[in-house]
Amino acid sequence: MFKKILIANRGEIACRIIKGCREMGISTVAVYSDVDRKSLHVQTADEAVCIGPAPAVESYLNVDSVIQASLKTGAEAIHPGYGFLAENAGFARRCEDEKIVFIGPNSKAMELVGDKIRSRQTMEKAGIPIIPGMKGTHKKISDYQADAKKIGFPVMIKASAGGGGKGMRIVSEEKELKEALEAGQREAKSAFGDESVYLEKYIEESRHVEFQVLADNFGSMVHLFERECSIQRRHQKIIEESPSQALDPALREKMGETAKKVMQVSGYNNAGTVEFLLDKDKDFYFLEVNARLQVEHPVTELISGVDLVHQQIKIASGEKLAFVQEDLEQKGHAIECRIYAEDPVNNFLPSSGRVLFLKEPSGPGVRHDCGIYSGCDVPIYYDPILAKLIVWAESRDQSCLRMLEALNDYVILGVKTSIDFLKDVIAHPKFQSGQTTTSFLNKHFKNWKGKDKSEDLEKLALIAASFDSLNGSFGRAGPSAELKSEYSPWLSLGKWRIGGGK
Amino acid sequence: MEFEYIIDGRLRTISLEKKGDIYIVSDGDGSHEADIQVISPHIFSIKIGERSIRAYMARDKDKRYIQLDGVQFLLTEPSQQGDGFQVGEEQSKEDILLIKAPMPGKVIKINVAEKDKVRKNQTLAIVEAMKMENEIKASIDGTVKKIYCSPGDFVETQNPLIELE
Repeated sequence: MFKKILIANRGEIACRIIKGCREMGISTVAVYSDVDRKSLHVQTADEAVCIGPAPAVESYLNVDSVIQASLKTGAEAIHPGYGFLAENAGFARRCEDEKIVFIGPNSKAMELVGDKIRSRQTMEKAGIPIIPGMKGTHKKISDYQADAKKIGFPVMIKASAGGGGKGMRIVSEEKELKEALEAGQREAKSAFGDESVYLEKYIEESRHVEFQVLADNFGSMVHLFERECSIQRRHQKIIEESPSQALDPALREKMGETAKKVMQVSGYNNAGTVEFLLDKDKDFYFLEVNARLQVEHPVTELISGVDLVHQQIKIASGEKLAFVQEDLEQKGHAIECRIYAEDPVNNFLPSSGRVLFLKEPSGPGVRHDCGIYSGCDVPIYYDPILAKLIVWAESRDQSCLRMLEALNDYVILGVKTSIDFLKDVIAHPKFQSGQTTTSFLNKHFKNWKGKDKSEDLEKLALIAASFDSLNGSFGRAGPSAELKSEYSPWLSLGKWRIGGGK
Repeated sequence: MEFEYIIDGRLRTISLEKKGDIYIVSDGDGSHEADIQVISPHIFSIKIGERSIRAYMARDKDKRYIQLDGVQFLLTEPSQQGDGFQVGEEQSKEDILLIKAPMPGKVIKINVAEKDKVRKNQTLAIVEAMKMENEIKASIDGTVKKIYCSPGDFVETQNPLIELE
């Protein structure tokens, strides 16, 4: 087993991996950019190395800096988390060259599944259902137009190099195609450095259902059931759950076995996820493989009881899987809400700034994977994910109630977050009855403006504020003070004592 | 003591007096007693009668973020530049004299005319948003220099309404 692991990431996922390492008695190395010196992952790791300036390309995406940090601290393995270098086959290869263990799949498998078109071709050859669409990319818009007509509108534009919603566009009419293609190509170029895009049939009223797979280096493989991630905004997941309301045991087994076949065909090892699209007739199609630990992995951990970070580390260090498919059981129901620093009222615009106060929710069945603390800054440079709230309960109904209570018990003051929005989504009758599709938010929450606040609570807020003002106002000039002087330092000093409390 | 806060663009007034161990709250609806305890600099426990509620609070200059029962409020202290000290972010003289719309809405009424003398906190105009009327008040003792809007106009946040001098 490794003695020291470097975590090439930041935020909540770096903190979660550090915890997993500590539980296994492995010492941890954090890396950080100039603006992250006071970030939580730096504080909680055993060692920390600055790897460059704030922009990710100069720090968290800088392969040389990360490798140097690993060599300097003597870390035997690197855990990449998600995002940044996690699915960069060049980085995985470089680790192999430097004799540092990359905690993830081998670089060859990563290359194959990272190329969406090549993996589509491979899967089709292996008899795995894929969404009807293009088998390659084109240079000319007119070729796309011809293919779009063959596939039939609506079509979905996808980036060949990656996921995360980047480059994705739904096109319902031919006249929208040219503009959407150009936008998709621009977005793909800036996100992945590769502008190639392809078209697929857009399947309406579908669900996003994915299977977690673990594969050791000796050909042993299990799936840890599904996660449904249909609640998405701008093609990005915000709520995930397991089990999916759309699967029965027979379909679950069929999809699970197909997921394992996808991984076998790809020569995959370590933890990975196979994404499927499930249409309203319960036909499913291969979407892509996520060759990393995913944001929503805690959902699987709660319903299966398997710690995925521990398993990743064990597999990477050369251990065999200690269980087989029949040992695994999907127990109870888990839901995850992603807590983003963003303004749901304002088109989910990211918000940055200082978290003035944080109170983490807690209670039976409540898990909070967190990358922030009271007083931390949320920099503008990185993904706006602050934390993840995951609950587990015996049934889906109980799980929804528990999630609502936990969201209510959650306090983040100072930056705008998605908490109120998430509450309304979970409480929505169509969510409660399990009618979740990828168009759910567009359909039911298009112009969400938040609820009206009760007059009663507003009055209590006024009482709290005036109590605070009253107790901070000793020595401070009131509005009618005689003493007023434009430059009196004592007056401004008094002002600063507001925070003093009692 | 009287306190004023802006919540969602509306000016709200409340009076709070300490009386022994308790506080007397007075507002438009009358007055009642409140038992308020400090749990930490960010947490207060409020009891009114038997009702008990926890208030979370953080301050940022003239802003207070308050959350009760899962509902968050942003309370801002009205500018007090006329008193000779700055509240909140540095504001230029122009910002103080130029009264702007605090939120998008419809101008319902203009209470003053150009060249009128006004007192600080005097209501200058009323802007309606989401079926609620909001009083726009004078920031200083002064004279109305220019009026930028008329009743019936729709205004956006930060649109100039009235200039004082």
